[in-house]
Amino acid sequence: MAIMERNSRNIDNRYWNPGFKAFPVKNVYTAGAAGQRFFEEIKNNSKILGSRCEKCELTYVPARIYCERCFNRLEEKNWIDVGTEGTIYSYTLLFQTQNGEPRENPAVMVAVRIADGLLIHRLGEFSAADLEIDKPVKAKFKPKEKRKGCIEDIDYFKPIK
Amino acid sequence: MRKVAIVGAGMTKFVRRALETPKELSYEAAKITLDSCGLTLEDVECIAHGTAPDAFDGLHQNGEYMVDGCGGWNKPTMRVYVGGGTGIHAVVHGWHHVASGLFDTCLVVCEEKMSSALPHAQAFFLTIFDSITERPLEPNLLWIFALEMNRYMERYGYTKEDMALVAVKNKLNGLKHPASQFTEEVTVEDVVNSEMMAYPVSRLDVSPVSDGAAALLLVSERVARRLTDKPVWIEGVGWSLDTAYWATRDLYYPRYTDTAARMAYEMAGIREPDKEIHIAEPYDPFGYKALHHMEGLQLSPRGKTVQLLHDGHFDIDGNLPMCPSGGLLGVGNPIAAAGTMKVCELFWQLRGEADGRQVPGNPRLGVAQSWGDLMQVSSVVVTGI
Repeated sequence: MAIMERNSRNIDNRYWNPGFKAFPVKNVYTAGAAGQRFFEEIKNNSKILGSRCEKCELTYVPARIYCERCFNRLEEKNWIDVGTEGTIYSYTLLFQTQNGEPRENPAVMVAVRIADGLLIHRLGEFSAADLEIDKPVKAKFKPKEKRKGCIEDIDYFKPIK
Repeated sequence: MRKVAIVGAGMTKFVRRALETPKELSYEAAKITLDSCGLTLEDVECIAHGTAPDAFDGLHQNGEYMVDGCGGWNKPTMRVYVGGGTGIHAVVHGWHHVASGLFDTCLVVCEEKMSSALPHAQAFFLTIFDSITERPLEPNLLWIFALEMNRYMERYGYTKEDMALVAVKNKLNGLKHPASQFTEEVTVEDVVNSEMMAYPVSRLDVSPVSDGAAALLLVSERVARRLTDKPVWIEGVGWSLDTAYWATRDLYYPRYTDTAARMAYEMAGIREPDKEIHIAEPYDPFGYKALHHMEGLQLSPRGKTVQLLHDGHFDIDGNLPMCPSGGLLGVGNPIAAAGTMKVCELFWQLRGEADGRQVPGNPRLGVAQSWGDLMQVSSVVVTGI
């Protein structure tokens, strides 16, 4: 009877700890055929692009190279500037950090609806009264020289006054 | 069980580093496959997809991530994973969906993006081994397979030059494959003199690291008859796993392949596979593995395989062409996609659509096999027209 016996001292369960042998690999990612263009547009032109499937009457944000519903290829002509404004589809207040430590001021994360798509981001420059579903918000971009071609080139979304 | 036919196949190019995301690679292969048989996503009832370790793409729950690229939006979708065996296991998995009568159409999509892993995908294998008895010794697949290759060579008196000939022949076949990531012929000397990685494995004995995707459309007999007059039937499927205590096995004989192959042959009504099969696509991540698997697949007598290889028995115009696609050594090895590519190859070969690498003599029956997990699994598919 092994697992049926209660062991109250963890030290009795011998273990091997890899210790200093850190896991020797990491992952890097490409943004993809659609992502490359999407983020270059944010970085260089402060524009958010969507891609529209006319058949399904859907505009994807971020833009994609295919419609997931009908598998039509979304080509050059399907890519459109969807503007930099959207609405708060939902929000949450984070009272703890990723490590579970308390935050002094809660961070506010928003799901921003743009066209038929969604960008998850931070909310900034807001007051308590702005925290409202369907509230219109606008992307606040970082200064051009600080952009890297990534999702954080948008610093945050802020309510439209 | 119902008859299942393959009616469409497609794949991306295999490349060292793709810009496309795993979803986008999957989409490209799936889209080409549907286009090849004139169907749309609306015609697809379910999805069977596969990738090997999540760690390669760097996305846990990679199956869920890939779902929309595989055409799985709002459809019954299921991923299988048996390491390197995944590419053909996913075809077996798709076969279940249709043979059971539950679905009439099933899109099979396999993808791998190994370039995400730095410095090299190989290092991710560290955690597949026993964490107490083996992992402290930092095993990787190169030296684990080196142990197997050494044992296999010793058992039958094969030389490193013999093993190198597989890479030479497969890479030559691969040059005619439009999706291949290779551009140059190699000689036995090139292989033997290439960088020694873990004796007796040299760099050119090993397939490369690749990104890519491959797909197939499986349908019931009723649908197949309506769609095409050239369906390729899945005549038999088989799979088997051996123990993970890998050193307790005969490393010179892949019993798991034997078991899986016999299961598939029985279903297909094949009694003498070495005489009845016209094309073999054994899994060839290393040169020696192709021969190892040919023996397990009952396509070559144990210990005589190298002689047959030298005699040209396995050449494109030989009695039993081996890896006419070029295989993993000749086309590339995006793990799960590479296995599915082998079934794509059978599809094109049996329909006479393999262009410059077409096996002569109107081949009618082929077998494809993939291998993986802790060198313990084989998945086998027999196809015929």
